[in-house]
Amino acid sequence: MITLTPLKFSRKLPLLLPLFGAIVLCLSVVPHVAFAAEGDVENGEAVYLKRCVGCHGIDGDGLGPGYDRLVPPPRDFTSGMFKIMSTAFDGYVPQDQDIYEMIRLGMPGTAMPGWADVLSEQDMWDLVAYLKMFPGYDEETPGPVVDYGEQVAISAESIEIGKTLFLEDDRCSECHGDEGKGDAIKRLLGDNGERTWPRNLTKPWTFLHSNDPKDVFTRISVGIPGTQMPSFADPASKLQLSIEERWHVANYVNSLAKTVEVVSAENTVVKSHRLDGEIADDPEDAAWQEATPTTFFLVPQLIAKTRHFTPSNDTITARSLYNDDEIAVLLKWDDRTLSLPGDEDAEKIADSSIYEDQVAIQLPVNPTKGAAKPYFVLGDKERPVSLWRWRSGTTTEPQSASVEIATGPQTPVEPSNQTVQANGRYESGTWTVLFRQKLNADHDSALTFAEGEFIPMAFAVWDGSNSETETKHTLTTWYWMLPESSSTALPFIGAILALLIVIGLEMLWLRAGARKREAEA
Amino acid sequence: MQKIPKFIQALLIVFGIYFGFILVFDVILDHLIPNSLLNMYMFFIVAGVLAVYTFTEEGTRELLAPIKSLVEDPSKVGTRKIVFVVVPILVAGYVFMQLLPSVEAPLELRSIHPAPPSTVKIYGKRYDLRTLTNPYRELEHEDPEEFSDMVEAGADVYVRNCHFCHGDKLDGQGPYAAGLNPVPLNFQDVGTIAQLQESFLFWRIATGGPGLPDEAAPWISSMPVWEEFLTEEEIWQVILYLYDYTGHEPRSFEE
Ligand code: HEC
Ligand code: HEC
Ligand code: HEC
Repeated sequence: MITLTPLKFSRKLPLLLPLFGAIVLCLSVVPHVAFAAEGDVENGEAVYLKRCVGCHGIDGDGLGPGYDRLVPPPRDFTSGMFKIMSTAFDGYVPQDQDIYEMIRLGMPGTAMPGWADVLSEQDMWDLVAYLKMFPGYDEETPGPVVDYGEQVAISAESIEIGKTLFLEDDRCSECHGDEGKGDAIKRLLGDNGERTWPRNLTKPWTFLHSNDPKDVFTRISVGIPGTQMPSFADPASKLQLSIEERWHVANYVNSLAKTVEVVSAENTVVKSHRLDGEIADDPEDAAWQEATPTTFFLVPQLIAKTRHFTPSNDTITARSLYNDDEIAVLLKWDDRTLSLPGDEDAEKIADSSIYEDQVAIQLPVNPTKGAAKPYFVLGDKERPVSLWRWRSGTTTEPQSASVEIATGPQTPVEPSNQTVQANGRYESGTWTVLFRQKLNADHDSALTFAEGEFIPMAFAVWDGSNSETETKHTLTTWYWMLPESSSTALPFIGAILALLIVIGLEMLWLRAGARKREAEA
Repeated sequence: MQKIPKFIQALLIVFGIYFGFILVFDVILDHLIPNSLLNMYMFFIVAGVLAVYTFTEEGTRELLAPIKSLVEDPSKVGTRKIVFVVVPILVAGYVFMQLLPSVEAPLELRSIHPAPPSTVKIYGKRYDLRTLTNPYRELEHEDPEEFSDMVEAGADVYVRNCHFCHGDKLDGQGPYAAGLNPVPLNFQDVGTIAQLQESFLFWRIATGGPGLPDEAAPWISSMPVWEEFLTEEEIWQVILYLYDYTGHEPRSFEE
């Protein structure tokens, strides 16, 4: 700390002047701080009434008309609780900048959108000023910001130390699981009694804020108020971490982000690779490792009665292999719970009712003609779909797989005379289910299958611990599967033929030209 | 200025348009249209250019002159040899690339705003879409207070049912929009509700994706059939809200 006595100050004044200039300049370039204090409450209210009441309610109590269909529910501002806060753990008043950032960026994975594209900076600062009135924070000053000490750069060593601390005494793994996928071993509730799930740390796109080490550092230091995510800077905690340790853990959390098996919008085709030999049961087998993964978003079934508003799964990854006898599809998705009806531990974590976990592959029963496909939600009367469905079993029933025919979301499915084999395995918060179907074993094979031809394919997933059963589940829209052609000779033959034909034509033409010249001569 | 030979002109036009397309649709707009569609466009463009240049016999002759002289003019032996070697190789290469198995998903074109039926049966009643109007629209002038209550009721319907897909900001970017194809429509955009009559919206909202005609690919639209969830009144209210929030005006029958 440098303290300047008045005498020294005056002597150094000429030197300090440019510094003052710089500070003034900074303040005028970064006007947020200046405006923040005096945001225009009246304008804030006007914007709030147009944009925010639908969720946060006229009185700021989070009881807008949509509240019971949103998980997490819209924030009750009168409670004074803010989840994303950089005020050190023993304070409860967030910095203005924290509120501003949440309005600007929104909170991914929740209904709270970012507003930067429709509101001006001034509007957003005015909103901050207005929101602070609900809990009376306009009269309070926030406590000091978290002490960041010196940031530890990301490195292999730091990540390794972070991992050890993450697992030590089950510090983070107790809730976030050994691999960070949030595979809970206990039931977690928010302050308002609403169900909360520990974050799947491998999916940074579901973070309320971000997985940047500095943001993660702030979360670990402050905790997430209103949820059971605790502060690890709190000296009262047995699991407290020093500043340096928190940087290591933050770097580790940052390193958990998935890089494969993530959605890429252009990729709408599951490529089925051709194998000459057997298709292995083990997903770790080399052929499966080489098969291209394609990942799709899962969307809650919001379309047909009865709708599902509170999904827990958000993506599914598919791989496929085939040989002369059969085609196999390997599905993988993160699910925080192994839902085992009848099992005491599973029932404790689950919602009020527990069902089996399930997954289904949807295919048209008849080959599609032209562009027309069956309705993507369970087909229709004219164009039925077949469902290859796998169920995870209960304490008394083993896993099972079946083929069903569906003719629309409102008509009951019918059993099919076909069979499919499927086998699932649950490990560290991930289900891996392998489907196998014999090709052309029976005449009405569920899959009309031709090399190089696209087959429409869709998926549906049920998380039984999240009360998902029947029409309450997540699904994808139609995508494609492509059994890749094995023959590689065709392009070569085609090219050689084209070469010969063009050369032939040239010869004929030259001959004709020569004849014409002769005739002229 | 010397006149550019017709042959070169034609080539310049075709390639100019081709690279223009690539620049605009692939580079700037990030693969907006699939390759198969681009090829189809290029086919028509080549056909069009040929048709224009061969409209008169003289034009045809001029267009073909350089090709003819290549084969017949003895002074062009060197060029001829080069061209006759390069062309077959290019053609063979092209055929090879085309025959490589494609992994590009089949193209699915759909009409976003198909022609509505003239009448439609909803809630067990028959509505004439050519004359149907929003029963609450006149309140806007007659009873502004009642009107704003109606808009507010529409807002409630919207947050409870629509924002998941169409977004809190009505921009088509709801929390689940990324998992849907076709994407939920953006009502802020001037190309959607600003172009439409309220009766069209009533039809679309009440009958949803499955109510679309085949040219609009009803089987992939995730737009629910709201007749099953909302009352007639609620549909008219949510329509008021869509226009009120975005500031667009519905199209009227006179226009
Ligand atoms: C479609 C519903 C919806 C709308 C509209 C909406 N919000 Fe939210 N908002 C939410 C939800 C849900 C949360 C809670 C997220 C959570 O708890 O994880 C939230 C949380 C917040 C938070 C708390 C941030 C924190 O750190 O805890 C602020 C601030 C906020 N909203 C401001 C606004 C403002 C300002 C507007 C209007 C411009 C607005 N919201 C509009 C749904 C909405
Ligand atoms: C008692 C259970 C519990 C423990 C222990 C716990 N967390 Fe959490 N954590 C949660 C819950 C619950 C959430 C989600 C809160 C919500 O609903 O927004 C969460 C969320 C998070 C997030 C997401 C932040 C964001 O922006 O969305 C991160 C990062 C995180 N935890 C890291 C950690 C780390 C690192 C540790 C160990 C040092 C840890 N947590 C220990 C329960 C826990
Ligand atoms: C499950 C997602 C989903 C929900 C929920 C949803 N929509 Fe849609 N909506 C779509 C999709 C996708 C389209 C575009 C495809 C189409 O035209 O059918 C669409 C199209 C529309 C259109 C046609 C606009 C135009 O320009 O032709 C209107 C109007 C509409 N929706 C209104 C609503 C209203 C009102 C609600 C709530 C009551 C709602 N939608 C709820 C997915 C949804």
